[in-house]
Amino acid sequence: MSGWAIFGQAVLAVVGGVIVGLFYRGLDRKIAAHMQARIGPPLRQPFLDLGKLLVKETVIPRTAVAWVFSAMPFLAVLASFTALLYLPIGPFRPILEGYGDAILVLYLLAVPALAMALGGFASGSPLGVVGAQRELVMLVSYEFPLAVVLVAVAWRLSTLGIAPAFSLGAMAQHSLWAAVGPLGLIGLVLLLGSLLVVTPAELAKIPFDIPEAETEIAGGLMVEYSGTYLALFYLADAVRTVVMAGLAVALFIPYGIAGALGLSGAAGDAVDLIFWLFKVFMVMVAAVTTVRVGMARLKVDQIARGFWLRITAVALSGLLLLALDKVVMG
Amino acid sequence: MKEKRAQDPEDPVLPAVEEREVLLTGPEVGPGEVFSVPIGPIHPALKEPIRLTFQVQGERIVGVQIRTGFAHRGIEFMGMRQGRNLIQILYLSERICGICSISHPIAFTQAVERAAGIEVPPRAQYIRVIISELERIHSHLLWAGVAAHELGFDTLLHLTWRVREKVLDILEELSGNRINYAIPIFGGVRRDITPDQYPKVREALRYYRGLFDELLDAFLRDPTVEARTRGVGILEPKEAEELCAVGPTARASGLRKDVRQDRPYLAYSDFEVKAITPEDYGLTPVGDVYDKIVVRLLEVGQSIEIIEKALEGMPEGEITSFPKIPALLAHLKKAEGEGLGWHEAPRGEVIHYVRLVSGEESPLVWKVKAPTYSNLLSWYPMFEGQEVADIPIIAACIDPCICCMDRVYLVRNGKEETWTKEGLLRLSWEKTRRMRR
Amino acid sequence: MILKTLLSQLLSRPATNQFPAKYMPRSITGFLTKVQEGRAKIHPPVPVPPKFRGKLGYDREKCIGCQLCIRVCPAKVIEFLPEVKKIRIHVARCTFCAQCVDACPVDALSATPDFLLADTGRNSPNLVVE
Repeated sequence: MSGWAIFGQAVLAVVGGVIVGLFYRGLDRKIAAHMQARIGPPLRQPFLDLGKLLVKETVIPRTAVAWVFSAMPFLAVLASFTALLYLPIGPFRPILEGYGDAILVLYLLAVPALAMALGGFASGSPLGVVGAQRELVMLVSYEFPLAVVLVAVAWRLSTLGIAPAFSLGAMAQHSLWAAVGPLGLIGLVLLLGSLLVVTPAELAKIPFDIPEAETEIAGGLMVEYSGTYLALFYLADAVRTVVMAGLAVALFIPYGIAGALGLSGAAGDAVDLIFWLFKVFMVMVAAVTTVRVGMARLKVDQIARGFWLRITAVALSGLLLLALDKVVMG
Repeated sequence: MKEKRAQDPEDPVLPAVEEREVLLTGPEVGPGEVFSVPIGPIHPALKEPIRLTFQVQGERIVGVQIRTGFAHRGIEFMGMRQGRNLIQILYLSERICGICSISHPIAFTQAVERAAGIEVPPRAQYIRVIISELERIHSHLLWAGVAAHELGFDTLLHLTWRVREKVLDILEELSGNRINYAIPIFGGVRRDITPDQYPKVREALRYYRGLFDELLDAFLRDPTVEARTRGVGILEPKEAEELCAVGPTARASGLRKDVRQDRPYLAYSDFEVKAITPEDYGLTPVGDVYDKIVVRLLEVGQSIEIIEKALEGMPEGEITSFPKIPALLAHLKKAEGEGLGWHEAPRGEVIHYVRLVSGEESPLVWKVKAPTYSNLLSWYPMFEGQEVADIPIIAACIDPCICCMDRVYLVRNGKEETWTKEGLLRLSWEKTRRMRR
Repeated sequence: MILKTLLSQLLSRPATNQFPAKYMPRSITGFLTKVQEGRAKIHPPVPVPPKFRGKLGYDREKCIGCQLCIRVCPAKVIEFLPEVKKIRIHVARCTFCAQCVDACPVDALSATPDFLLADTGRNSPNLVVE
């Protein structure tokens, strides 16, 4: 692929990712509101929010480390956009396939969280420092189960002869559910469960939104951010939601319906793309929206203990069951 | 922000210079380093302005300072010194607080009635009891929603506040307004609860009885709520007794203290109200936030029973001993004596004290003791050893009503002083001058 | 469990008492023009019960100028006009306690259900009752 073609596709993907991310955020707010017997904001609200933030004044506190404080939002947004380029979207392979794989996506997903934490530390506010500390504790806690899930699925697919290992594009073309035995099915369910629990932690949503706890530390690590920088973090959060849900879809729900409907070519691709958007939406509703309205916020030590002990145990059992399944199936 | 001048060491309101510097520069956090986290006066965790400064080490709280006075409005001063007569002060007392809006008038009217020797007919007493218990339901539901919001559980906030609309609609039907019901007047009540309103009240009670189990389930059996509230903010019974905690704060620690039970007033002697502790739910009282939720939700159930009994046993008769206002005003002007009025507000015991002088329309002394005033000191043992994440829920668990509570009482050099209007004015001028420099 | 409540609320009507417009219109005056032309609808406010304590209503004929209402008003809302022995009520200061309504010996004052009193000036005609 020529460089210009890749560049064009990248621009398309980023613009599409932003629009889809913000639209899904609007849907998330609307559904959450109806679950709480409210009307909620109109669907276009995140776009209005972004527009409003972009025209507001950006204040850099006098006690902040200015260059870190200003660079972190850009870092978060760039990492989220880059992660989009490594994600298989619908029937299409990742745009930057061959230049990085699932391991890189794992790191790219961690960078915005790190950027927010560094921004919180650099903000010069004691509330920001507390929020940043909590974000780092949470980051360390959920990365391990996430890595275990990724490794488990990638390894099992590679044993079935799908190469190259860890390529998200390859993973998205092949489904594991049909290829494993009963042990493997249980293992896959456990792994999917762990990933769905890690998703709200990655995105810092309730019950894991302790870094930004609104009622406790008044916004935590985001407390000093305003104007353009806050808009960039908002954008990064919206795009990361799409990326995380897209990752879950690529690993566990890689099905397309074009074949079942008997379509092919451009029509089939379009239908598959819409189906992919629907799948991402359903993952978001299950892992982010419903959980966000149905639970209270957990404390950081409860989160750390929960992830290090329980979720890691669940993910490791899933990995173990997949390994046993390989042994059984030969 | 550095201050060049020396600070007035006796200044009771502004923080010392060093303290202010620490708050603004956010010092480096080394291992074991202690730094200050200010919560308030404006903070999403607090519903009313109060300044809590915490010294934290990582996530552990090692010290707390409480500074009040931000919601002081000079209500007692307005009542005593600005030439208001007692009926005008009644509406002033009603507006001390919006949530415990009838508790203050009930205590105040009782105080004046005891001072002036006015009898309250039985039907009026029953009506006062009904409105107070309806207010208790509304206040506890409001608190439950606020506590859920502090925990990050907004769904329960919207659920309880939606459920609360029913009791507000009933109160609007009975009294003409959702808050500030303006029901009590000296010698009785202003409006009657007519028999054609009984079905509506009964229907609301049925609605709440039906919802009661769902509410208990949502709050007390939810795993995340339990994880956040069990073992948090523990107030031991001995500490509660020593610090004179009142209301659900004390009852959650197992003390059976309830003004309606200990010193029955109005018609409460007919209902035999028992103080509710977590033992009534089958738990051993620990005094944590979970127990406080238990006590308040069970009190909602108790209020429903009381209202039901009151509606059934409502005596006939007049609703006030002084139907004509000029007669009431004349009697109050002649009255001499002092009186104490008390009431079990949703937050605890509220006390009003008046001293009337014959020939004067204003009282000589009017003192209000709000329940949060007694519960404030119990914050110190509750915050000890807890985490920063627990601050909002512990701050909310005593149901602080800072606007009720703020009174200025200055102790300087061991002597007690009362600030007069001129003194306060001078203080505010000085402060403005300091801020302008 | 909370999940049951969430799903049942998702599928039923929201419990909100709606504002006049469902979402904030881009221009309020534009919206009001549309309403007058009949192109948009306003949700009416929730009806208030009878005996709601809203804006005061004053029957000037019945008033005898006894000033009892002024004596009981906690907010100094009522102004006495000595030349005609009638009163003027400044609604902007009123706390809507309706004590004056109770105090009046000739029932010249009443509490109307009117509560939509937002205005641009304290002495605008809507907020002074004579």
